Amino acid sequence: MHITEGFLPPLHAAAWTAVSLPFVVASAWRINRLMRDQPQIKLLLAASGAFAFVISALKLPSVTGSCSHATGTGLGAILFGPSVMALLGTIVLAFQALLLAHGGITTLGANVFSMAIVGPWVAYGLLRGARWLNAPLAASVFLAAMLGDLATYTATAGQLALAFPDPASGWVGSFIKFVGVFAPTQLPLAVVEGLLTVAIVNFLREYSGDELQILKFPSQTVAVEARS
Amino acid sequence: MKAGNGGLLLLAVVLVVGSVLIGSRREGAEFAGSDGQAMEAVAAIQPDYRPWFGFIWEPPPEIASGLFALQAALGAGGLGYYLGFKRGQARGRRNRADAGD
Repeated sequence: MHITEGFLPPLHAAAWTAVSLPFVVASAWRINRLMRDQPQIKLLLAASGAFAFVISALKLPSVTGSCSHATGTGLGAILFGPSVMALLGTIVLAFQALLLAHGGITTLGANVFSMAIVGPWVAYGLLRGARWLNAPLAASVFLAAMLGDLATYTATAGQLALAFPDPASGWVGSFIKFVGVFAPTQLPLAVVEGLLTVAIVNFLREYSGDELQILKFPSQTVAVEARS
Repeated sequence: MKAGNGGLLLLAVVLVVGSVLIGSRREGAEFAGSDGQAMEAVAAIQPDYRPWFGFIWEPPPEIASGLFALQAALGAGGLGYYLGFKRGQARGRRNRADAGD
């Protein structure tokens, strides 16, 4: 989902930066307030950022014979709410743009929008929706993380389609083309991201009840009731 | 719950290993990045588009792999620290409860 440096026309690059900036500023404000009001959750917040860091560093192979990476932003979004991930995701993307020649500074705004804003909000919305429907927590977390990952790549396809409409079939044709590039590679990886996120949430429900309680996230007591 | 997590991690490993096996049987499988493929698609749609801004700094390939490893290590280290810390904390709580404190 990293749009390479210079691969968005200046106007698009500027527009996505302008769209993403308020989210990142709000995110910084929100993280600041979280750390001040609930210092107990600092470590879990750092761990969620670390999860995104490691997951997005690993380029995983796919059945298509190509490779890509998961995003890791779903976990933090379902624990802390989607807004905190905008800043954490920006840190990851800036690291990659500056040190790894992966992504770019001119495309940072667009990449932040897809990975650190769209993905987390989709994951969070799906989790809330699934919980509202009384779906089992593990299944809800799995779907949220997996579809959040796919949403990020769909957003990237949309951004590229807007910038590069197909001469014959227009934006729609171009969008389908870019989705066709990402989707087959990303699908198995999104499943892996879903599985890993469920594993971490399972661990948290067993060992981090105190933090989950602060975050009003269902912890183990609920799981025991559900299992019996 | 622990057995459940073992199963989840195993399934994730099976998916990744299975992807390599299935993927490498495909003609011309090089495991190229899908990001790069998308940029090739851009070139196919608009052949005359030229990136108007280049990387400020591009690490030599060997250094790049090291930096990728560094990113993964920082993330895994941070995550591992948290998971270990919480487990130790839980064990400490249990031990204190057993000792009747």
